[in-house]
Amino acid sequence: MHSMSDDKALIAHLLRRTGFGPHPGQVEDLAKAGYAAALEQVLVAVPLSIDQPTLGTKDDEGYLIRWWLDIMAKPEAGLHEKMVWFWHGHLTSSVDKAEPVAVARQHQLLRNHALGNARQLFQDITVDAAMLGWLDGASSNAEAPNENYGRELMELFALGREFNGAATYTLADVRAAAYALSGWEVDGEKASQVSFKADSGPSKSVQFLGTTVSGAKDLVNTVCDHPAFAPHIAGKLYHFFHGVPPDAATLATLAESFRSSALEIKPLVAEILRDPSFVEHRLNRPRFPVEWALATAAVLGTDKEADLRDLLNTLGQVPFTPPNVAGWPISSRWLSAGAAMTRASWAREHSADTEVTATLDPVAWILDRASLYEISDATKSALAKAAAKLTSKRERASALHALAVSSPEFALA
Amino acid sequence: MSALNRRQFLTSTLAGLASAGALAACAGRGNTAASAGESAAGESTTAGATKPSNAPTPKGTPTAAAREKRRLVIIEMSGGNDGLSTLVPYGMTGYHEARSHTAIDPKDVLSLNDQVGLHKNLKQLQTRGLAVVQGIGTPNPDGSHFAMMDRWWKGDMRGNANYPTGFLGRLADVIGDPSARAVALSIGSGSHPALMSRKAPTLSIPRADIAAALVGAKPDDVARYAFQQALAEMAAETASDTAGLTMARRSNRDAVRFATTLNDLPEDKADSYPGGNLSDGLRLAARLLAADPAIRIVHVPMNADFDTHTDNNGRHPELMNNLSTSLDAFLADLERRGIADQVLVATTSEFGRTVRDNNSNGLDHGTASCALLLGPVIAGLHGEHPSLTKLDDDNQLIATLGFDQYYATLAERWLGIPSSEVLPSGAKPIDGLIRV
Repeated sequence: MHSMSDDKALIAHLLRRTGFGPHPGQVEDLAKAGYAAALEQVLVAVPLSIDQPTLGTKDDEGYLIRWWLDIMAKPEAGLHEKMVWFWHGHLTSSVDKAEPVAVARQHQLLRNHALGNARQLFQDITVDAAMLGWLDGASSNAEAPNENYGRELMELFALGREFNGAATYTLADVRAAAYALSGWEVDGEKASQVSFKADSGPSKSVQFLGTTVSGAKDLVNTVCDHPAFAPHIAGKLYHFFHGVPPDAATLATLAESFRSSALEIKPLVAEILRDPSFVEHRLNRPRFPVEWALATAAVLGTDKEADLRDLLNTLGQVPFTPPNVAGWPISSRWLSAGAAMTRASWAREHSADTEVTATLDPVAWILDRASLYEISDATKSALAKAAAKLTSKRERASALHALAVSSPEFALA
Repeated sequence: MSALNRRQFLTSTLAGLASAGALAACAGRGNTAASAGESAAGESTTAGATKPSNAPTPKGTPTAAAREKRRLVIIEMSGGNDGLSTLVPYGMTGYHEARSHTAIDPKDVLSLNDQVGLHKNLKQLQTRGLAVVQGIGTPNPDGSHFAMMDRWWKGDMRGNANYPTGFLGRLADVIGDPSARAVALSIGSGSHPALMSRKAPTLSIPRADIAAALVGAKPDDVARYAFQQALAEMAAETASDTAGLTMARRSNRDAVRFATTLNDLPEDKADSYPGGNLSDGLRLAARLLAADPAIRIVHVPMNADFDTHTDNNGRHPELMNNLSTSLDAFLADLERRGIADQVLVATTSEFGRTVRDNNSNGLDHGTASCALLLGPVIAGLHGEHPSLTKLDDDNQLIATLGFDQYYATLAERWLGIPSSEVLPSGAKPIDGLIRV
């Protein structure tokens, strides 16, 4: 690969990681002011203002998926939207088990806190109707409480299994958490009301992670104050944005900053993106299916009716339907033969009406359009041969669009 | 600015849930020390010391000629299948006491003896000669789905072997032809850690209709031909790639290679499948197994929610029904295709569930469970059912059989691979389970 590392390559990297593009033209626009200015622009961008979903139809599930994909597909969808996606893959809930209306409300909760305060986010999500449905907190009775949420809160959401080489929690903590979290009910049509019923909740305090807790709020505060919390969240966010986990020293610094800002998420994300190694970590992980699908739709110019849901179903990443409580793996598995076939076939099928490429240097034109500024000679030469063989403008444009997004380079983020 | 550091990419992509076949991709292929069928030859792929290949042939090992045709189909029931609702201990002391909300009525049990019986929704499988291995687990259970799935995927019963490959990937490395288009497949989109191999090509394929546009155009079909030529050229191995690009290009190459297999699949005439995710996966598995003898292992994730923390008795019977009707159709399909005697079907699940139910009519994460086998097996019960009254310190079932022994049986008695080549030493196969 050319080690072409001018601003365009860096800005394309920035937009791949902090959004769902790049969309054609975005990198060129930002490149005029340089990478540092582009990063600042990403950090100060305001969240998209969105119209609330209209639920209550026969297919709320399908509607909701389409609704969010349309939002993520907007060229302005940036860091805030990417963080909503991050939290959805971290604090998971699925419409396969929770009520779509409740999942839509949880989605709003994630939008509100995506770059806000992590403690508030964890407090709110713990008694969120969709989460209470998804991880079985709803109707858990202190007499024989349900262990699901308490365990996953510690293992996946907040602490991790190990910290400083020792187990973070024991089965006794799982059972204490189940007890302390009991008593919450979800009632009303379409899971509209969450309430605490003292008679099915804990009647005494319990020992949990070495301290005494009585109830959900107490328990979540204990989790957020645990020494493993800040590095767990900071480490996963770093991994999400950099494509690799942080080294120990970097993680310690990030965790300390996160704690000293009282668990504010936005400054943590800014620190992660300003880390000088961020720009080095280009093309070191696959594009996630949602990233590939939306970037591809932007390059091909496919209309909104194109069935991204079906594509994402085959690729294994449909919004609102994570495969399990751990969400989608953030760093691997997406480079498979089946995925490569699915992507290339979809691209070919949806490239009939693309823009026509420039006549003079169609390969350079398509690489710019796809924001591929770091491209191997092998890929470039394959594109050039195809361009030379195709004299019809229409056929050449279709083939080059489909090939650019099927290239191994475009499969990487 | 430095090019991407290879180690960083490996850390990133291989540390968590790694891409199956990725090690093969990075190590390069072409090591053909072990040709198909010569399972004992050459390299061990275990993380520990290389095992000698001249160990005495274990008792009950199939002949080379027979084993070359044998195939293994693994059904993964992720989420933690409740063994006590699958093989119901309806007559055992403690069952009804522990499960005040979720005990299954004896009239809903297909009795195997006065202690245990199959859930009634497994009736199709009972008719087909189902074998049940009881009490499978590990001596050091872990309550995490992800820790236990990782152990099952890697064939690492105690969670301490640090294998870089998956169990099915190691099997494929020993028995597979490295020049085949695929030795092991997972039905799904993301590559699967269980199939991570060193040299055998192992792929993930979600469905059959994703390859039509990718290969097979004639030169006079200019536009399609130019696209397909370029697609293949972009996928060709290139020495100067970074680690990330090497893997991306490798998966494109695998895609182009395997596209022909998918496009050449004969039309699917089977109409007896009940539909649904598992059914669709098994249907594709049957078509591929019939079409390509080089495919030796197929992994079919059930993609259903076995994690029945709530409403076990509403949800679990549906899962059993789905399993039973889908596998029934699959076995009928294999018979129609004349390959039923080549295929062993075996189930896995990361753990069972708690003996005692919770107040949500559900069951939390447990330990031991049972496994189901179909095909050339001795029908009925194998092993010993765990006690429902003598439990461990966490009030969980104590496994009567390590899952490494279950895996050893699949490796040694079915595929003819000495278990020491693919598992930590000491894993002994179960006698009398597989019809040799």
